[in-house]
Formats: sequence, C-alpha cells, structure tokens
Amino acid sequence: MSVTSPGRDDLNRLLQHTGRNDQQAFAELYKLTSPKLFGVCLRMLRDRGEAEEVLQETYTAVWRSAASFDATRASAITWLVTLSRNKAIDRLRQHREELLDDPQKLDVAADERATPAAEAESSQEYRRLQRCLDELEPQQQSSVREAFFSGATYNELATRCKVPIGTMKSWIRRSLLQLRKCLDQ
Amino acid sequence: MNTPLEDEDDDNLRYAEYVLGVLDADARAAVAHEVATTSEAEVAVALWQRRLTPLAGAIAEIEPAPFVWARIRDTLKLDAPEKTPPPKGWWDNLQLWRWLGIGASALAVALLVVVSLPRSTPTPTVVSGYMASTIQQDNGSTGWTATMDLEHARMVVVPATPVAFAQGRAPELWLIPAGAKPIAVGMIDRDKPTTLVLDRDLLARLGPSAALAVSVEPVGGSPTGQPTGAVIAKGTIGAAPDGGAGKVAVGETGRTDRPSV
Repeated sequence: MSVTSPGRDDLNRLLQHTGRNDQQAFAELYKLTSPKLFGVCLRMLRDRGEAEEVLQETYTAVWRSAASFDATRASAITWLVTLSRNKAIDRLRQHREELLDDPQKLDVAADERATPAAEAESSQEYRRLQRCLDELEPQQQSSVREAFFSGATYNELATRCKVPIGTMKSWIRRSLLQLRKCLDQ
Repeated sequence: MNTPLEDEDDDNLRYAEYVLGVLDADARAAVAHEVATTSEAEVAVALWQRRLTPLAGAIAEIEPAPFVWARIRDTLKLDAPEKTPPPKGWWDNLQLWRWLGIGASALAVALLVVVSLPRSTPTPTVVSGYMASTIQQDNGSTGWTATMDLEHARMVVVPATPVAFAQGRAPELWLIPAGAKPIAVGMIDRDKPTTLVLDRDLLARLGPSAALAVSVEPVGGSPTGQPTGAVIAKGTIGAAPDGGAGKVAVGETGRTDRPSV
C-alpha cells in the first residue's frame, strides 16, 4: 500500500461501486483499507480477537450501507475510519472494565507515530491537523491524541492523566475549539 | 483562549466530543440519536469528522488475519470464488482455502503441526505427500479440516466452526472407503486441533475415493466399532502435490499472526 498508495478518488470510486453491490470493488476496497482500519481497531481495543470482530462488523456494515456514502460530505477513508471507530467505541463502552482489568491485553498497542504508509490523501490533511495540534499546549495536545486513539471517556482520561475530570474536560474542550479555529481558517 | 465558552460553542462541542470519542455510553447514544434525526446535528458531526479523522493517519497499518475477510464473505453470503482449482500450487492458494471454508491461518496451523512433527521412520508402502479434506456439516459450513501427512502417517484435524455437543457426547472421526464399512480413525476435539496417528491399513485406504465423516459418540468412542450416533459432517479426500506446501503456509502464519507493534 505504501508503494502504490490509492488516492482519494480511487477509494471514493471503490466505495461508490461497493454501494452498487459490486463485489470486486468491495474486495479491492477491503484489501486497500483494512490494514488501516485494523490498526485503528487494535489501537482502541488492544486485543486482536476483539479488533478482528469489530473489523468484521465494520466491513459488513460497509457492504450494507455503502450506498449512503456521499463523497461531497466526506472522503471514503474518513467515512470508513469513522465507521470502524464508532463500532470500536461502542464495543469499549459495552465492556470497558473487562479490557482494562487484563494487563496482558495492553501489549498489542499499535504505534501512533505518523507512518509513511498513511494514505497520500490523508497525509496532507494529517500534516495540516498536526500543525494545528502543535499550537496547543503539549499536555492538551497529548490528551486530544490519546482521546482519539484510545476512545477513552473523559473519566478514564482524567484517571490516566491523574487530573480532576473538570480539568480534563476543560483541556479537551478548549483544544477542540482552538483546533476548529485553526483548521477552518 | 481563556474566555468562557459560549452557548453555541457548548452545543457544537458536544458533536466534537462525540466524534473524538470521549462521551460515556449515555451521552454518546443521545448524540447518535440527534445525528440520526436532525440534519443540523448530522452536518455538525460530519464537519468534525473531517477535522479530526485525519489523525488516523498517524496509526500504523496492520494486516488483519486472512480469516477476517473469509468471515465477512460468509456473513454477507457473497458469491464463492471460482471453484476450479488452479493448475499448480493449490496449497498456497488462499482463495481455494477460503472457498473450502476455513481461514488460511487454520490451515497454516494444521500444516505447521504436520510439518513439525517428529520424523518417524518413513513408511515405504505409501507415497509421500499430503492429502486434505474439508469435513462439512449438513448446513454447508465447515466443521473440521483434515490434513494428512502420508510420509509420516499423521493427520491433523482442525475445527473451523466449533460444533456444540450434548453432555457426554463427543465427535469421532471415521474413514469410509468406497463401498466399505466405516473405519474408526479416532476421537477429535470440537474446539482445538487434534493430531492422529494413521496405521498402515488406514494409510492404504486414503484416497480420492474415500471419505471422512464425523459422528456423535460417547466421550470414550463408539462402543461397537461402528458409528452409533448421527453423522454430522462429511468430506471427500483430495490429494496434494509434493513439496513447497509447508514453507508457504508456515510463512503465511508468520506474517499474519505475529503481533505487530
């Protein structure tokens, strides 16, 4: 994928064709995007089996709802990542304690540094977002990133960072407003 | 940055928090409901997705195990790939194994076990090589996959979809030569791979004209030497060409199942 990165248009087209029940397009879309979505799920769930189940749920939903994809509103990769994150977060909320209580499940954390394998189309958007993130206080920036990657609630983030929940909420809310201002310029 | 948050911001922030993923289950469900019912919420959430989702670009890509795709195909009942076996090297043809109904990693595990078994004295009367059988249940789903190593007289039986058994009942594997009575191969596990030793008589009878079957028996095995309970799965035996198979499949396991960091 890093060699022949599919562009935004390629993925959009594949997702649109998937919406018209094109099985070949769906298979190609899976091949190109599942490593990214699996990385996202694994980073959140920290358990390979759980991540595989959520990945399966995600692409099952992709096949069934691809017709509702609107390329004017979001890129295919945004649509796909959002779908997988929503499913992973739902799963996390269902049995959070179970996962957190088992330290063995924490050892499969994915690397969250930027990778060259990131899609060409998103890397440009990623760099832009990163520039805006860099304007935040370091602790606030890391809270936003950790929130996005882990899918943790305010409560859990506050516990991990050993700050009152009010402080965590304030950090993240102000960061979000600042990011919006920076990105919408 | 230290000005108080305004009402409008406050409302919009709920959508941002929803997209970021920090809301608890109840608050999350409330926003999801709004998104589904009001276009204002839908648009606001879509905008935040566009702003924040590029962060996923920082997450390393990790190849999922091949069986995930096989399961997706099964769940959605997508068309099976072509059923014509490729002319050569079908051992390393994942499509075929998906068609056969098992994940490639299950096959790889079976093969890994087969090729790593202690090398016993070769049996001179049989040809070397491998045979395989997909033992299917009546509903069409694969119950077990059997891989036979002729040279070392071993069979590894890997469950694909664990079958439920009543208390005190267990699966027993039978070899059924064409036109002959079933021969007991052994008890197999319902949920983990079983390795069975094949005696000379069994080895001689393995082949495309024979079938494998699984019946429901008492835990200690059939008391009569013939199946006493229902036959729940059957499969024909296919020959495999010599060489190369182990290496390819083992490499596959190494690549897909290694925990990536």
